[in-house]
Amino acid sequence: MSLGAFRGEVLRGTEWFGHDFTGQRVAVVAPGREAAQIVPEVVATARSVKVFQEEPDWVVPMPVPGPTVLGVAVARVFLRWQVKDPWIRRLLTPDRRFGSRKTAPGLGYYGALRRPDCKLITWPVYAFAPDGIRTAEGIEHQADVVVLGASSLFAKEGLPA
Amino acid sequence: MAYDFAAMLQTIKDKQWSLADIDWDAPGAETMTDELRAKMRPFMADLVWIEHVGARGFASLAKKAPTPVIQEIYRYFHAEEQKHANAELALMKRWGMLDEHGSMPEPNINVKLAIKVLDDYGDTLPLTALATLIPLLECALDGALVKFLLDEVSDPVCHQVFRHINSDEARHITADFEVLELIGAGSTTKLLTESIGSLKPQIVLGLIVVFVPLINKMRDNIVAMGLPEKKLYNAVKRFSAIGGRGEFTKRVPAYHVLKAQAAMIVDRSHVYHRLLADPMVKVTRLIPARLLGKPQSWTEEITHEPVAS
Repeated sequence: MSLGAFRGEVLRGTEWFGHDFTGQRVAVVAPGREAAQIVPEVVATARSVKVFQEEPDWVVPMPVPGPTVLGVAVARVFLRWQVKDPWIRRLLTPDRRFGSRKTAPGLGYYGALRRPDCKLITWPVYAFAPDGIRTAEGIEHQADVVVLGASSLFAKEGLPA
Repeated sequence: MAYDFAAMLQTIKDKQWSLADIDWDAPGAETMTDELRAKMRPFMADLVWIEHVGARGFASLAKKAPTPVIQEIYRYFHAEEQKHANAELALMKRWGMLDEHGSMPEPNINVKLAIKVLDDYGDTLPLTALATLIPLLECALDGALVKFLLDEVSDPVCHQVFRHINSDEARHITADFEVLELIGAGSTTKLLTESIGSLKPQIVLGLIVVFVPLINKMRDNIVAMGLPEKKLYNAVKRFSAIGGRGEFTKRVPAYHVLKAQAAMIVDRSHVYHRLLADPMVKVTRLIPARLLGKPQSWTEEITHEPVAS
């Protein structure tokens, strides 16, 4: 089932910015670098948020000038400091070999993920159902709104060619 | 010809299924008699936990995968093992095997030890060791246990669930052994250095303490249920049978070590059982679970609810 099967609202690009999500269950489908910017904003008004992280990225509290290695070092310390659960930390850490080397600013990302109404999900998304998102661990996660990151695997779906 | 992992990944994506595809209230639950329920409950609890621990194994494999495509395959396998655990927990709920809160049954001490070792060393184990161990456990535990279950239970929903699970497992076994072929085709130096690297005493000891009694404990449970242990042994034999068909798998030292262990497991008269595995089941039973500390939060991820709000 493709994105078209989903009956709720789908926000793309920067449509999420300044949007009022009051009373809504929001699913954010994006790689970490985009989720880091979207999630703190969405969580402020939504009833609950599920973050379907397509791939982890290094997140820094603010842009770090200089070589990438310095940015990654800052990101590591930031992650260690902000996320105490070792398993969640593992899910947020890019792969050593094939993973991303980019850093993305996201001061409020980990703080947002710590909230009880916000959940990080890293299972692969394989389908959209009328009322939510189906992931490969066999569960359908219900949502009223789907926010797609600009570089999400599904970003181009349903757009005119 | 080189195996097409990209095609395998696409098949995996195409074959996804969800707990929501299954009618958990369909007729057939009444076939679970009180007697069978009492007999099956500990077995099902072990099965759910073994799938769940298997999922954690694939999470570690994903970190070690030799190519991004294989990494993605392992990412799906990680999720699929979790799906199997979720589906089996949903069957337990359907059969009235869970308490009123529907909470997850407590794992036995051998499963707890496996969780501890995977949490502590899972991500540091070399690819060759992990990629060989996982198919052995999949053949031995998953394959055999599922077969027992289908022989014992006539509930059509159970059979529907396991058609999906078996189809997934067939892909897991195929991909697992193709990865072993790929590793075996690599340079001898790399194979040797990786193998020697995995000989760290704490890792070797950890693996022995955990996986030797785990398999024998499962056999004891099977025998206690009045089922022939021969079926478990036939499943273990599959490991060497499939591995033996490969061209390069035999170059992987870890494969030979585990093949030798598999041969000892299936030989009931071997001293392995009398002097090592059976005593270890007894000794590990005495380990207080609180010594192992709190497991990581992945152990709380399991759910029997097909839909999460």
